Amino acid sequence: MAKLTPRMRNWLEGLGAHIGTATKKGFPTVIVVDSAKVEGDNIVKFQLADAQVEQIKQNIEENPRVALGPGGLGSIRAAYQFKGSARLEGNTLIVEVNEIYCTKPGPEAALRLDVLPYESIIKFENTRWRDTGPPK
Amino acid sequence: MKLTDEMKEALSIIGGGGAVVHLTTCSADGKPNTVAERFVGVFKDEYIVIADMFAQKTRVNLFENPIGVITIAHPVKGRTWAFRGPTTILQEGLPPDYKFHGAVAKEVLDEWGNWAEKEPPSEVPPDIKPPRLVQRGVIIMKVEECYSYKPEEAGKKIL
Repeated sequence: MAKLTPRMRNWLEGLGAHIGTATKKGFPTVIVVDSAKVEGDNIVKFQLADAQVEQIKQNIEENPRVALGPGGLGSIRAAYQFKGSARLEGNTLIVEVNEIYCTKPGPEAALRLDVLPYESIIKFENTRWRDTGPPK
Repeated sequence: MKLTDEMKEALSIIGGGGAVVHLTTCSADGKPNTVAERFVGVFKDEYIVIADMFAQKTRVNLFENPIGVITIAHPVKGRTWAFRGPTTILQEGLPPDYKFHGAVAKEVLDEWGNWAEKEPPSEVPPDIKPPRLVQRGVIIMKVEECYSYKPEEAGKKIL
């Protein structure tokens, strides 16, 4: 099971994510949410506006798979992609993350991180980035 | 659909007033993939181009399901736009007259096939600069629609 690090959590909570959804036949729709709440090891919750719920409701019902790309400055600094399964509870989109990838351009792009031991992911982050989250 | 001047400015590399974007593609059975792209441009007012720096999953997805969504990620500056349309990857070796939704591959590659030469990423801060801009081809989207991703009006048609 994937476990988000504090750095991942800080970026997701601070600047949210671009959330990729699709029909089961692969027609994509993306919504953008500027903050999130991470609970436990791998649950990310997003509060959606009514229009966002309307936009993705059908997709999530027929195909719960989503991809998260960190929003704002996170698109540069937090070079991760999170994939998982989502469900809607009212206006809350609840994503259970089960895959984490490094998307830093260069030799480690697409490296899957969640398959590494947790300590190795922390070590990886500490040697690739200096920050622990978005600037205050 | 023609992009506006404001859109064209946003859809250029970040050092030139443009923005980093997220490109979302998905497999034919609907598994999405969302990744940030820093080298973005516009071809003939109707297409968005992105340097293909060996995008792995994006390539697999586009070759089985040629459609994508591009969203402005940073800086947003009120440009809460999502562009959607047929998308593929063009690279050297295609037949000379190969076309993707009206765009001639050779013309696209002549203009955007060597990003490092055309728009060197000199303004990208050193700690986030790719070690070397190694480009395999050009990801190209024929923009067919643009909708707002602003939360309260998400999905509203802009173009």
